[in-house]
Amino acid sequence: MRLLVIEDDATLRESLAAKLAEGGFAVEQAADGKEGLYYALEYPIDLAIVDLGLPEMSGLEIIREAREKGKTFPILILTARDRWEDKVDGLDAGADDYVVKPFHVEEVTARVNALLRRSGGWASSVMTAGPVKLDMSRQELTVNEAAIELTSFEYKIIEYLMVRAGQVISKTELTERLYDQDFERDSNVIEVFIGRLRKKMDPDNTINPIETLRGRGYRFALERGPSG
Amino acid sequence: MSSLNARLLISVSVLLMFFFGVTIVVLDTAFRSAGEQAQADILDGHLMAILAAAEATDAGGLELPPDLQEPRFGTIGSGLYAELRGDQGEAVWRSRSALGIDIPAGEQPNSGVRLFLNEILADGTPVLTLSLAVQWELPDGNYRPFVFKVAESLDSFNAQIAQFRRQLFGWFAAVALIMLLSISVLLRQLLRPLRRIENEIGEIEQGERASLSGQFPTELTGVARNMNVLINSERARSDRYRVTLDNLAHSLKTPLAAMRALLNQGGSEEFADRYNEQIDRMDEIVRYQLRKPASSQAESLVRTLIPVKQEVARLVEGLKKVYHEKHPAIETKIDDEMRFRGDSGDFLEIAGNLLDNACKWCDRRIRMTVCPSSGDKSDGGMALVVADDGPGIPAEAADELLQRGTRLDESTPGHGIGLAVVKEIAESYGGKLEIAQSDLGGAEFRVTIPAS
Repeated sequence: MRLLVIEDDATLRESLAAKLAEGGFAVEQAADGKEGLYYALEYPIDLAIVDLGLPEMSGLEIIREAREKGKTFPILILTARDRWEDKVDGLDAGADDYVVKPFHVEEVTARVNALLRRSGGWASSVMTAGPVKLDMSRQELTVNEAAIELTSFEYKIIEYLMVRAGQVISKTELTERLYDQDFERDSNVIEVFIGRLRKKMDPDNTINPIETLRGRGYRFALERGPSG
Repeated sequence: MSSLNARLLISVSVLLMFFFGVTIVVLDTAFRSAGEQAQADILDGHLMAILAAAEATDAGGLELPPDLQEPRFGTIGSGLYAELRGDQGEAVWRSRSALGIDIPAGEQPNSGVRLFLNEILADGTPVLTLSLAVQWELPDGNYRPFVFKVAESLDSFNAQIAQFRRQLFGWFAAVALIMLLSISVLLRQLLRPLRRIENEIGEIEQGERASLSGQFPTELTGVARNMNVLINSERARSDRYRVTLDNLAHSLKTPLAAMRALLNQGGSEEFADRYNEQIDRMDEIVRYQLRKPASSQAESLVRTLIPVKQEVARLVEGLKKVYHEKHPAIETKIDDEMRFRGDSGDFLEIAGNLLDNACKWCDRRIRMTVCPSSGDKSDGGMALVVADDGPGIPAEAADELLQRGTRLDESTPGHGIGLAVVKEIAESYGGKLEIAQSDLGGAEFRVTIPAS
């Protein structure tokens, strides 16, 4: 999934981005408000982390502008002032949650995961669908209680599909959201990874977790569990 | 004497009284002396007529015809009298009208001189007399001195004067009354802008108005403009203060957050823990200092009326997002018309901290009620109660929490600081924070702020 971090302090922004990348996210970074808004409007973003006190354009303006332009991805605000006035203004403008500086980076990743799940309609920290269980905080996938070994890219794909369980996701969307750099976007690569995932999760072809819709993309097809 | 209106009216009536008094005295004196002059002229005319009518007799006396030209000399008690005395003061002749009346002899005039005197008759009637001493040439060629005297009663003259005075006083009293009335009406008109300024300042203090309207007469535009400048600079000062705090918070906390993130990337765990502890302490100090109530800076001129229901609705919407997974049921009971007089940041701080705590601690249900602390919805007083169905706070712990503002539970950070801030803000508005047991089963926080 592709995250956007808009924060003017380079050290903070880079270490936050590093930590998020560690967690399996593709991360775009913006150092000022205008650049941030550009990324928010023009890039395929799944979640934005926005500092409220930014040069060029305030975080609040970015949020308002993005929401006005119809962007619905979750927004997490970072604020130095923990006056309720600022928090309420931010939430009112369209943010979904806030973290007050100085935060622990783990707190941010936890909120990010929660927001992503929430945006996919999942309420619990662990997503369950039939025999498949995905724990985002641990980056752990189990099928029938048995842990599945995944590469980081495989994990990214199944996480993306499962968060949006029931929706059709095109190959283009998957490449856009999952690749960190603009290297050769070969849709065959996606097909290969999907094939590997199917083999790992469903070696006997009994549960069919991932459907292929010809010409349209893929869909995580299992019914959401009681927690979702 | 604090009212301009009363001051002006009193000084104007004193001036009027003085001015009219002097006018009355001058007019009265002028009228009286003119009257007296006319009286004297008439008397002189009568005397001349008598002189002309007098004729010397052979016996060496003077004689007057029985019917004089002026009929009043012939009518008894007519008020016009005449007599003629010889050089020894003996009466030679008296007019018929003087029958039974004793005209006092009075002072003897020198020969050829007219002597006017104010005298009083035996019956008390005031009279004006004119005496003239003449040397009358008798037929035998000798001269003999005589004194002619005419007297006229002043009764009718005095009555005229009195009538004149009555009229004078009457008219002046009427004029003075009309003037005072019109002045007070005029004053009311003139002072209306002042009264408007006063009302508008009152409205500003009540938070119903942002600045003076600026439509005042020339003399007051300066005052109004300066007043607006003052209000704006007061607002700007409080805004600037807030911006300064914002910048300070941002520039202190961003590096702290960066330090934390760096600690996360490398180094031993023990090392990171110790540094994190120090960062926590710094953060707490900064937070506490920066969250002091704005009201101590904001004087009454910058307070506004805050629509409580809307603000709480915003807050509840925000908290619903933040506590999406816990999904607490927040019930609010707030009148549409409820207003809080003060700083909107302060209000949000009180309501936000209490609701946030309730969201953290509740099991499922939260109830918030805001009502006026007195009967009036718009006087600015407020009683705000937040109740939850969580574990509640034992009485001893509540006391400790209120007294020291310390954290009750380290595992839920910010509980203590939030409450300390609520308490401090409530106190800066002259109110208080109380903790009790709620009927929902958990804690109940009650903030009472009196009307100001």
